[in-house]
Amino acid sequence: MAGASTETIHDVVCGFCGLGCDDLSVEVEGRDVRAKGTICPEAARLLRRLDVPDRPASVAGAPVSLDEAAAAARRILTEARAPVIGGLGTDMAGAGALVDLAIRFGGVLDHYASDGLFRNYAATQRTGWLSTTLAEVRNRCDVLVVVGDDPSAVWGRLFERFFPETPLFADQGRKVVFLGSAPGEKAKAHLARAKVFHHAASDAVAALEALGSFVAGRQPPGESFGGIAANALAGLAEELRSAHYAVVTWNAAEIDDGDLVAERATALVDALNVTTRAGVFPLGGRDNIIGVNQLMLWRIGYPLRTAIRGQESAHDGVLYASEAALADADVLVWVSAFRPEPPPAFTGKVIALAHPETVFEKEPDVLIPVGTPGVDHAGTVFRMDSIVSLPLGALRVATLPSVAEAVRRIAEG
Amino acid sequence: MRIRLKGGRVLDPANDENGVAAGRARDIEIHDGRIVAPTDLKADAEYDLGGDVVMAGGIDLHSHIAGGKMNLARLLMQEDRRTWPELPGNFCGCGGGRAVPTAHATGCRYAELGYTTVFEPAMVGANARGAHLEMADIPNLDTGAYLVLGNDDFFQRLLAAGAGQEQVNAYVGWMLEATQAFAIKIVNPGGINAFKFNARKMDLDEANPHYGVTPRKVLTTLIRAVTELGIPHPIHLHGCNLGVPGNDETTLATIAAAEGRRLHLTHLQFHSYGTEGDKRFSSSAARIAELVNANPNISVDVGQVMFGQTVTASADYMSQYRNRALASPKKSIGMDIELDAACGVVPFEYRDRNFVNALQWAIGLELFLLVEDPWRIFLTTDHPNGGPFTTYPHLIRLLMDRDFRNAQLATLNKVAQKHTMLAEIRREYSLEEIAILTRAAPARILGLKDKGHLGPGAVADIAVHKEDADREAMFSTTRFVFKNGRLIVKDGVVVELAQGTTHVVRPEFDRAIQKDMDRWFDEAVGLKAQHFRVADGELRGGAGPTVLNCQGVAP
Repeated sequence: MAGASTETIHDVVCGFCGLGCDDLSVEVEGRDVRAKGTICPEAARLLRRLDVPDRPASVAGAPVSLDEAAAAARRILTEARAPVIGGLGTDMAGAGALVDLAIRFGGVLDHYASDGLFRNYAATQRTGWLSTTLAEVRNRCDVLVVVGDDPSAVWGRLFERFFPETPLFADQGRKVVFLGSAPGEKAKAHLARAKVFHHAASDAVAALEALGSFVAGRQPPGESFGGIAANALAGLAEELRSAHYAVVTWNAAEIDDGDLVAERATALVDALNVTTRAGVFPLGGRDNIIGVNQLMLWRIGYPLRTAIRGQESAHDGVLYASEAALADADVLVWVSAFRPEPPPAFTGKVIALAHPETVFEKEPDVLIPVGTPGVDHAGTVFRMDSIVSLPLGALRVATLPSVAEAVRRIAEG
Repeated sequence: MRIRLKGGRVLDPANDENGVAAGRARDIEIHDGRIVAPTDLKADAEYDLGGDVVMAGGIDLHSHIAGGKMNLARLLMQEDRRTWPELPGNFCGCGGGRAVPTAHATGCRYAELGYTTVFEPAMVGANARGAHLEMADIPNLDTGAYLVLGNDDFFQRLLAAGAGQEQVNAYVGWMLEATQAFAIKIVNPGGINAFKFNARKMDLDEANPHYGVTPRKVLTTLIRAVTELGIPHPIHLHGCNLGVPGNDETTLATIAAAEGRRLHLTHLQFHSYGTEGDKRFSSSAARIAELVNANPNISVDVGQVMFGQTVTASADYMSQYRNRALASPKKSIGMDIELDAACGVVPFEYRDRNFVNALQWAIGLELFLLVEDPWRIFLTTDHPNGGPFTTYPHLIRLLMDRDFRNAQLATLNKVAQKHTMLAEIRREYSLEEIAILTRAAPARILGLKDKGHLGPGAVADIAVHKEDADREAMFSTTRFVFKNGRLIVKDGVVVELAQGTTHVVRPEFDRAIQKDMDRWFDEAVGLKAQHFRVADGELRGGAGPTVLNCQGVAP
């Protein structure tokens, strides 16, 4: 749109990584969108939009109208024996519409980033856990234990948001202990007001387990645990026991033994709460996975990785994980509205409700390009803590349907 | 659309009508979703009730049906979902569960029992948007939510700084509006906050370790706030020391602390425990009922314990942390939330052969039977904390049928039987009293003038039961249920899913508070106040709320 004036929109909410930053500034000029000011690289990349014509809907690569694409998708679903509704990168309205679609046509529901979530659930569903949320960490946490890799690479502003200039309670000498790889430059910059320690752990599970023992007042046999010297862990245990509010955080998606890390972190926090206060803060939340999972729980009673067939549903964290479910499926409905995430390799028919910039290895049988929540249309997403959800606004006039709209067109005909 | 219900025996205590006692049947006429005075006009549909009992749709003023803690309960207790799958042939085919049913199952099971309005009694502000999304997915019920307040750091700071009542009122008004809430709930006043500073118990006059504020101060300040803002429902209080033997003294002191102002004590059963006897656990129901009877400003709901497996879910993390040792199965979730509140989820099985559980059951029934005024006591199990709401028909029979009650009592833990006076209580609830407890009185205490009765102008939410001497059988099913005049249940089966509305209150308040809220959210919470706020269009799929404007001082 030549000659359009530039408008700067403030306090834009970001729905991509699950951290839920809501103070972004964005310049909009016609259909051109770019971030400015404080923003993480991933949000800057995913918000960027050029003033280019929309990719059309297509059937087997040939451009068609939205109605024709929806009709073709409906025909495929009507004949489908075992569909998988995967990706699930969508806002709450889209998630609701997709659950309705699964109720109507049957299907396995899973989000493409659910590995981390289910590693955490291995611990939650066995023993439960004691957790906390962002505003509590910001203001109370005086000892933070970060397990695994520096999470700043995935959540660019995590430490900036964890450590504000003037916390309400934990103002003096906040400590951050990295158990795993060393913090990067960005993390160090955001942690300038905290005391940062690093223990290079070769085995985070063993280190956490020993730490839990020390906290509980036991002396585990051995000189070192997971590559960390026993006396260093004993010292850290003492720091944790004397903390007012300790927090343990990790990204289960990036750790092979993420389920065991979640379990040991849970046990550590349980032990701490006997005498002081502490909580786990599991990282995750990409592309509204938490919101979709929340909706599944209240609509179906089961989390992601649930199959709906006939009028019954069943949950199985292994059998109905995308990869396993696709082995038995004949149709994949691939949904990715937040980013151009391509579908996994699959030999059956593919219906893609996809970000318009998605690069497909093989043209999907039906492609309906969809708008991005928070860019093209308003919507709601959940933050990683599963408690707070945020209203995304539209930054420009939508020319592509939302996922909810596209699904309605498919279902209604 | 004009509908006529022909020849029902109308039981409408709000309008002093008891067609059951009088043996008199009459027609009820509905026009465009409201009850109207009978006319001779041709109806679009007529239903022959053949003398069946007609009541306003049931109103549950305290049942945990939505919000983050219920989803945590669903996640933790997948056993509940697997044990109670989708009902065969149920056309909505959408979910199951008993202690923590899905949204659809909640709406359908309530409708089948003749309930049409249910209030979620513990919405945490930080979770308001999610709770409203979830409520929008509950079919057949109108809903509303009470905002949990009093443990939030903003409020504690106000009190610690000696803020005036005006400023507190502005804050309460802002929060009610921002979260689209219907009333204020206080959960363990100040105790949830104190637990974040590692206090493990909090009595009425104990000072918060950080702010120095007492639960009494929290309570009296918020009672004044809702009174001065004109909120119809009084403070809905989950008091201090839930479940702790000896909390009877706290409860008695709390009633006194209200100083004659209106106060609702919720799940009173869990707050009526003495320490007498060699097990140091006893019933104080008689003492507490006596004080409730003597104080017309006090209303209560019971939170009756019903035997079996359930899940307890509460914002009272302090108490739930204490209770997690009793979890069955052995797992639990706790969460501190956003400088706002917290939650604790603990699965629990109430066993009839267990002394404490059996006595809890008896204490609840003692309260029901010893509190005299049916307009000030409400039928709840604190779903799902004392038991699932689907046990209401059994509970109603326990109240209405002394022989049945005593026969049940005789099967319980023998020692517990000796610790209760239940067997000597002769009272049996009448049908009219049940109608008061479950519709007329809740509508009145919630300020819902067009609900809970069948007079002209009322919303046409109507339940029709076939009379049966076995009251459990009678209340387990409905012949017809109408929601806004639409038939949603026929012969006990849901035949249509109606979209309900969500009730909210809108008080007037000093909007100068906005700048304080903006600053608080920016600096402390790390979220913009404008994004904390839930817009009207976010409720009920864009339909928005049903607003009750509040002006002047509440009674």
